Order: sequence, then structure tokens, then C-alpha cells
Amino acid sequence: MSRKGKLNRMKKHMNLGEGEEAPHIVDQPVHSVPHLQKWRDLDASPFFLDGEYAFVRTKQYPKTYQHGRYVFQELEDVVERWNSFHRSHPLSSKHLNPSDLLFFDTETTGLGGGVGNTIFLLGYSQYTEKGISVNQYFLPSPGAEVPMYQAFLEDVKELKNLVTYNGKAFDWPQVKTRHTLIREQVPKLPQFGHFDLLHGARRFWKNEMESVRLANVEEQQLGFTRNEDIPGYLAPMLYFEFVKDPDPELIAGVLKHNEEDILSLITLYIRMSNLLLDHEGKSLSAAEQFQSARWWEAVGEEDHAAQLYKQTTGRHEREARKALARIYKKQGSLDKAILIWEDLSESTNDEESDIELAKYFEHKERDYEKALYYALSGYQKWKNKKRILKDKEESERLQYMKRIERIEQKESR
Amino acid sequence: MERKKKLPQLLDMFQHEEKYKSNIVTWKTIEPKEAKTAPFPKGVAPVLREALLNRGINELYTHQATAYEEATEGNSFVAVTPTASGKTLCYNLPVLDTILKDPSSRALYLFPTKALAQDQKSEINELIDEMEVDLKGYTYDGDTSPTIRQIVRKAGHIVMTNPDMLHSAILPHHTKWVSLFENLKVIVIDELHTYRGVFGSHVANVIRRLKRICSFYGSNPIFICTSATIANPKELAEELTGEEITLINNNGAPTGRKHFVLYNPPVVNQALNIRRSATLEARNIAVELLRNNIQTIVFARSRVRVEILLKYLQQLEQRELGPRSIMGYRGGYLPKQRREIEQGLRNGKIKGVVSTNALELGVDIGQLQACVLTGYPGTIASTWQQAGRAGRRQDESVVFVVASSSPLDQYMITHPDYFFERNPEEARVNPNNLIILVDHVKCAAYELPFKQGDTFGGEDVEDVLEFLTEEQLLHHRADRWFWMNDAFPAHNVSLRSASQENVVIIDQTTAANVKVIGEMDRFSAMTLLHEEAIYLHQGVQYQVELLDYEEKKAWVREVDVDYYTDANLAVQLKVLEEDQHDQLPHTTATYGEVMVNAMATIFKKIKFETHENIGSGPIHLPEEELHTNACWFEFPESFVQTMGENRLEEGLLGLGNVLRNVAPLFVMCDVSDLHVTPQIKAIHSNKPTIFFYDRYPGGIGLSERVYQELGLILKEAESIVVGCECESGCPSCVGVSGETGENSKETARYLLEYLRGEHSDVTEG
Repeated sequence: MSRKGKLNRMKKHMNLGEGEEAPHIVDQPVHSVPHLQKWRDLDASPFFLDGEYAFVRTKQYPKTYQHGRYVFQELEDVVERWNSFHRSHPLSSKHLNPSDLLFFDTETTGLGGGVGNTIFLLGYSQYTEKGISVNQYFLPSPGAEVPMYQAFLEDVKELKNLVTYNGKAFDWPQVKTRHTLIREQVPKLPQFGHFDLLHGARRFWKNEMESVRLANVEEQQLGFTRNEDIPGYLAPMLYFEFVKDPDPELIAGVLKHNEEDILSLITLYIRMSNLLLDHEGKSLSAAEQFQSARWWEAVGEEDHAAQLYKQTTGRHEREARKALARIYKKQGSLDKAILIWEDLSESTNDEESDIELAKYFEHKERDYEKALYYALSGYQKWKNKKRILKDKEESERLQYMKRIERIEQKESR
Repeated sequence: MERKKKLPQLLDMFQHEEKYKSNIVTWKTIEPKEAKTAPFPKGVAPVLREALLNRGINELYTHQATAYEEATEGNSFVAVTPTASGKTLCYNLPVLDTILKDPSSRALYLFPTKALAQDQKSEINELIDEMEVDLKGYTYDGDTSPTIRQIVRKAGHIVMTNPDMLHSAILPHHTKWVSLFENLKVIVIDELHTYRGVFGSHVANVIRRLKRICSFYGSNPIFICTSATIANPKELAEELTGEEITLINNNGAPTGRKHFVLYNPPVVNQALNIRRSATLEARNIAVELLRNNIQTIVFARSRVRVEILLKYLQQLEQRELGPRSIMGYRGGYLPKQRREIEQGLRNGKIKGVVSTNALELGVDIGQLQACVLTGYPGTIASTWQQAGRAGRRQDESVVFVVASSSPLDQYMITHPDYFFERNPEEARVNPNNLIILVDHVKCAAYELPFKQGDTFGGEDVEDVLEFLTEEQLLHHRADRWFWMNDAFPAHNVSLRSASQENVVIIDQTTAANVKVIGEMDRFSAMTLLHEEAIYLHQGVQYQVELLDYEEKKAWVREVDVDYYTDANLAVQLKVLEEDQHDQLPHTTATYGEVMVNAMATIFKKIKFETHENIGSGPIHLPEEELHTNACWFEFPESFVQTMGENRLEEGLLGLGNVLRNVAPLFVMCDVSDLHVTPQIKAIHSNKPTIFFYDRYPGGIGLSERVYQELGLILKEAESIVVGCECESGCPSCVGVSGETGENSKETARYLLEYLRGEHSDVTEG
């Protein structure tokens, strides 16, 4: 009995998704590389290992090349400024040379994690003596991962300073996954360290931009617009086509897309470093300056954050002043903090400053009259606000009541 | 106020009070059984032995000792263990021993549900704490937080999970589990008997995938399975694991005295042979038990029955037992609700629980004293499992089986030997069901490429791989097949439900608090969640206001009405292929492949208590299509003339009713898994025909089994029809004559006699 016949009959019950009937493809013998000349025209050449091969594509850009609003050479300046700045930050390239940074991105056959999501293109760019080098490792057929990873790992030696966009959650775990499958045939993955610029983009622009997709960031922050770009989500389809008909023209657009990604990462690193290293706020928007301050505060550089908060004006000014008071309090400069709180208590409907003052007068000064005054004024402000979460509201209200009762008791003693 | 009675007094009351006494058909007392033990095996790690001694375990039951020996010799086995016989030690002992001796070893435990895994985690961790060793047992399920997940993957010695997680979260990410797969020594499959039918066929394939991954990482674990009593534990374990399995069947655990009471409700209409409703009788018995503070579990066969019984029994709460002392428990409740109920039963806050077979499994609800089965659960194995809920340890306990009017129940209650003497049923899986197989070959290809000559659990799947290549899911190059698609195949494959997508049930009673209260598979939704249907959930009635069939959402609102709804399904069948033929005396039985088109047509509103029909309405839902396996036999076309079309139709309908209920006696399945459809003029032959078909696409071996056992099934059907005392049809045989027609019984009997070789005068085919 033929199972093939049944298979076709029961097709409807199987989750096969939409797919056209495939043309019958005859496999190419591995030793003759099809379309070799076209590959050469794309600056790519095969890398052979045990009869299988992957393509390695390399390209150079001059340091003075203008990519959007930035020239690659500005990376030198940025790295130098990090080196001469004494504060530490996750994006800092202190103790590094520009050439230590590898700007890295991959293209895969699917979305999300999972063993079967194959990486078919690894790309990185690097700042070298001769200029910017673009290096790409392409998987011409699914059996050729060993030569692809071999070529890649031979070239990179070290991955301590990868710069990516969402590489922490996606690209790198996926590299580890696919590498695990062939771990006995290729070198070990080196120790890896990471600058994930997506995190910074979210911090700086989440509220300002509709989406912080790299393409949007390029357009709105880096002044770079792509011509005839193949959107990333089409890459898997094009690759599936290529696998059936290995004509490099099908995939040239994807190579170009990846190349532009890893070049944009250089200028994005320049842009973000500029934002973080701008201590006077000359070149940043008010919002960016506030976010820069918050980031510095979050990484523990409070003095520096305080400097930046002081300069913040505009719509974030109140938040900045509260943050400043918070830093003062933490550092023990209560007098400075109180000045800010008192001012905010008088001039705004923000109840947090009132609470801080109530705490201060209750516990430090033991001035219960003043403490009660601020506790009540805070409660009043809080009551005037609309709230969404019922149970949270109740627990907050109880806190207020507890505080007020306690102070009243102390006062009456 | 009258004093509460203790169980022995209550039993005495049941035996002597007229209103119960006369309905008790059989009262069988199963005497207590002494423990059979064996000394501790010598090889057990001293620290483990000491920990067990500290817990008062100074020798093993015989089956536990055998289990340890088999495991240490590297043999895979299945241990058959009834409820509460210390089965967990059958696997915990060898597993802990292995890990203590080589701490790099890992074990994987599979439980059919999340709840069971959580129970077992607490149990094994208590033992581990007692030993004060650095050994970690973790559950891994949908509730595990991301930070813990990391730890489980890297450092969990024992990972406790369920097949669904293995299928969709572990295997497709196996590279994150290298340390587990490289060092996997033991795979434990608890509650093996639950892996049957569609679910079992899926799980068998998940295990094929698991073994592929193990061999990729160079491990070759043994399988330890535990099972309730079924006819074929060894065969089932072998089919599921693809390994040679040793059977351990020397259960040495003691049991308490158990009273097994078969109860047949009184006949209320002699002519129609209609009995009082089993639901009402079960309610009365449960009320007697509950109001005397006897913790009782009531099992009902369907979700609807559970809810109806719950509604009845919760009236006790108000008057006597206090709020939230009686709860329902079934699939469709959210996990949190279920956890609360389990806990309430253990700590005694909940006195009574009404459940579907969901509580048949080893969910730890402590020890109940009484168990009431509303209707025969359909299989002997299930009955023993449910009965095991009462008196788990050494106390006296009682089990009532209240028969309904269905032919199966009446057969069982009038043939007590059948129940007490016969072997329990076989559990069947069909891992090579084409649809299931293809789904898992896809998942497997995603996990690792297939090589030329690779089998999938011993099955040659090259044709499947070629098919998937043509469908553009795989890419064939040189000697390998690679996954070449952007999808994540495991997400589209559900191990549990027959149809792939579930309908979500949304309560919109209060506009400010619209919430999801449950879900249901699509095929069932056609008849249970159509618009205007009354859907019962935790005893609360909801009316379906809108069924968005496209979006798979049912919007319901709470109502308070005195009826429930029941829907009709119209079915059309086409024969696609005839695979096997078997000669009956005058006709032929055929096994093959069919296409079924089913459509919900109308629903009826049926009043509680009186069960009368108080209204009806149409259902507007699209037709569902199903390719499946079927078994059928036909009658000569001439019957239409000789008997008249009406009369023949009545006979076929009646015969269909009997067969629908008898067939599950021989095939371990639910009445709803195997459909019986009589047709006066089958499309393929124009002949009067009766079809049996599997409700799952591609079939799971049920109709095949019917085909093999047809002779016996027909014989039993005949003995039911002949033996029934009614005049012209009743719910216990061919159905009520008002519904099937007044000649139904007589004609069905004639048709059965024809099938069984009488009436040799009619030979024309």
C-alpha cells in the first residue's frame, strides 16, 4: 500500500502552511561551485573544508567614508574619548582600540530561538589600519555549516567585544545553538563580551520613536536611508529560493542588507557614545540628556548623573530634580535634597517630595508638626490623582493612613 | 440534631434500608491484603538507605525490590501498580541511587500533567533534604520562571516535566540542555496507561524524538515506567518507548477492606424499561455519605454531568456543610483553581468533590473514604483507578457503581463476573498514524537533520521525508534532509486535542471584568458551544451569546435557567479506500479509509429533573471534514423492499445504538472516540450499511480493533438485545422506541441474527 498516496490525500489535516509544489532539483556535485564568476563579482570566494564549502565575502571601505550623518573615522575619536574619561559605563571602550570592536549581525531562516533556525549568514565589520573591513560568511547549502563556522572562527580569534543590535537575546544564543550541533568538528567558541546597542536605543528613544527597529534608528538618528533594501523578514524566503536554485543574484540583496546593518552599527556606536560623552549637553535634546543622566545613574556613576540632571531643562526638569534630590539623599547631603523637595512640594502636585519631607521631619528632625503637615499635603495630592489599579490603590492608601496616624501619635505624646 | 454515622454504620444502613437495599445488585467485599516485602538490596547507597530508614521504611515491597534489581542491571521495565502502592519508590530508588553513585548522572521524569510533576517534586525533595546531599530535582513547565529555567537546564539532576513541555520547549531547544542529554541515564514515564489513543500516539513519537536527541549526545538511557492495571502494559510500554521492556507485576503493597457495591436504579416505567436517572441516585447516595462527614468523591462521565451533580450537591453546602466544601474538578478549569481544590481535599476543608476522569490520575488528594461512580466509566481499568481513590491506605472504604440505562452499564451490572473476573482492557496507540507521524517527523527534522538510512523509532520514513521535501518544508541535499522553513513546527502540533485549535471561552457577564474561563477543542465546540448553548462551569450556567468560529472564541454570559442543551450532528460518509475484507456468514466486513463530513444541525433544550424536551433551535456552523479509518458492514439492498424503508431505518438506528455502546467493551476508548453511523443507502454502494470510524484524522487503531473483534462485538450486541426485558426498545438496548421507532428492537434483532448467520433463506447480496 502506498503511503505517498495517503499523504497527499490527508494533506489538509497536516500543518504544512502555504507552499507551492517544488520543482525537481538535481543536486550539484559539491566540487564544482556554481556561478563562481557571479560570486567573484560580489567579492566572495569559496572556503573549502573536507569537500564542503562556504562563501567568504570581504569588502573594504575607506575610513573617511560617509555613512549617513557620520564618517567612520569618528570611531577613533569616540574610543579615544572613552579612554580619557574616568567613569565606567557598559558601552565604554576604555582600554580598547577601535580595531578591537567587532560589529556583528546574522541572518537566519526563521524567527525566534530554536535548534532548527539556521544561521545562513554571519557578518561583522571591523575598523582596521587600512579602513573598514566588512567580512561575511555565507552558508550556500545547509550541510556546509562546518566550513562556515570554521572560516568565521579562524578569522575572528576573539569575540570579547562584539557590538550588536539585540545580539544578547537573539544572535549570540543562536550562534551558540548552531555551534553546539557541530561542536566536535570546529574550534570552540571564544569567550565573548557584548555591547548590545538595542538596550541603549530603548533608553534614549523608546518614547520618541514609534519603534526602535534598526531601520528606524538609522533613518531618524543616523541620517542613513537605504536604497532598494530587502527588508529583513524577506531574507528567509530568498534564502529558501537560493537553496533550490543557487544563483547568487537571489541572495545579493540579503548580503547587502547585512552589510549595511553592520556598517550602521559602527555609526550607531559613534552616535550613542557621543550622547553619553556629551557632558555639557551641547548636542543632545533635552530628553536625550535626561535619559543619559538616568543611564549613568543606573550604572552607579551618581556624581556624573547629578551633573547632567542639574543641566536638564524642559519637560523632564521635575523628574530630573527629583532624581537629583534622590542622589543627594543617598550621598548624605540631606540639606541639598531638602531644598529641592521643599521647592517641589510648593510648586508641584507631586506627592513624592511631600513624603520625603514627612519622613525627614519625622525621623531626623523629630519635628512632628511639620512631618504631619507634609504627610497630609502628600495624601491630599495623592487623592486628587486618578488611579487604574484598585488593589494597588488600597495598599497605597493604607500606607498613607499608617504614616499619618503614627505621626499624630508621636505629636500628641 | 442527629448524630453523624461512621462508615460501618452507614454501610449497615445501605444494606438494610429498603430504598437502597432493593437496588443493590451485587455487594462484594474485597478482603484486606497483607504486605509482601523483601529486604533492602545490598547495593543501595548507604546515605539513601539511611534516609529511608529515618522515614520508617526498613524493607521494600516485593515490586519495589524487583524494580531496583532490574534498573541496576540496566533493564528497562514497566511496573504495574495500583493506586497507593508505593510506586514512586520504584523509580526514585534506582534514580537517586544512580545519581548518588555518579553525580554527573541525570534523569528525566515524564508525568501526564503538571500537577503530578509538582507533587512528585515535593516528595523527592523531602527525601533529598533528608540525605543532606547536593542533588537537585526541579519541575520544568510553563510556570517555571526564566531564571530558574537556566538553573534547571545546567544543574538539575532530575528534571520533572510533561510530554507537552518536552515536545514544545525542551526538544526544539536541545542545545540548551547539553548537560542533561549527555548524561541522561534514566527516563521515567509515570502513569503509562494514560498514554493511549491520540495522546499516546503523539507521545510515542515525542519519545522517538527524545531518543534521537539522546543518541546525538551519546547517551542511552533506560526507561522506567509505571502503569495502572491494564491488559497489555508490556506491549504498551514497548510501543511507546521502542525498547525491550521487562514486566514487573509482583505488587506487594497491602490494601484495606473494600466494599464494592453495584447499584441499579429502580425501573420507573415497566413498559419502556426506563430506570431512574443514575445522576439522581448517585446524588442520593452521595448526600447520605457527605452529611455524615464521610469524605467522598463522585465521578461522572461527562463535563455536563459533573456540573449537574455539583449543582445538586452544593445545595448541601448551604444547609449543612458550609461554603466551598463541595467542589467540581475537570479539564477546562484553570490550573490555579485545580491546585486549590487538590489542596482543599488533602487538608480536609473540602468534603466532597465531583470529578470527571481527571482525578483518576495519581494527583495527590490524600485519602478519601467513599467513591461514587455515576455510570460505569466505560472500562474496567478506569473503574479500578477511580475506585482506588477511596481507601488509598489501609482503612475500610466503599465504592458505589451506579448504573445508568445505557446498554453498556446494564450489561456490566447484570454480568458482575464480567467486571470482577475479566482482564482489564488493552490500551492502544498507533504511533504511525500518518498525520501524527508526519507532524513529528517535521519536528524531528527541525531538531536534527535526517540522514539517508536513518529510521524514526525503527520506522522507515524516507517516503515522509520526500513528501515533506516536495511540500517545501525540507531540503534534500547529498544524503541528508534539512529543515528549510521559517516556522517552528512544534507550535502547530498539540499532543492533547484531536483538532489542532481550541476554542477559548470568554465570560462577559461583567463588562469591567471580561475573562477567559476555559477552552475546548473545535470538534466538541460544534455541539457544546454553539450559540444559545448552555455551558456549565463550576456549577454555574452560562449561555453562549456568540461563537466566533473563525477566531475560535465563544462569548458567554452567566444565566440561571432550568434546562441544559443537547445538539445533533449530521454525518456524511464516503469510502476512499478498502484495505481489508473479512467474510461474515452472509455479508462482508470491510476495513478502510473514509471521509466524514459532519455538521451540527439543531439543538434541544432539556429540562433538569424531568429531562423533557422544552424547545429547540438551529445551529449555523460550517461543516467539519475528517479523513479517518473505518470499519463497516452492509446488508442486501433487497432489505429495503422486503422490510420497507421505515422499518429498516428503525432497525439500523437501533442496532447502531447498541453497537455504539458495546464496541468500547473491546476497545479501550471513550464512547465519543469511536463513532457509529448507520446509513440506509451508503454513498459508495447504495446498500444499507453501518460504519464505525475513529474520530481522529487518520485513525488511531480503534476501528481496526473493531474490525478484528467484530464477531465478538456482534455476539455481545445480540445477547444484550435478546436479554433485555423491555418490550420494544429502551435506553438499555436499542434506544427509546419513541425516538428510534416502534419496530426498532425487533428489526435490530433480525439484522443481528442475519449478521450472525441465521436467516439463511436471505442470501441475495
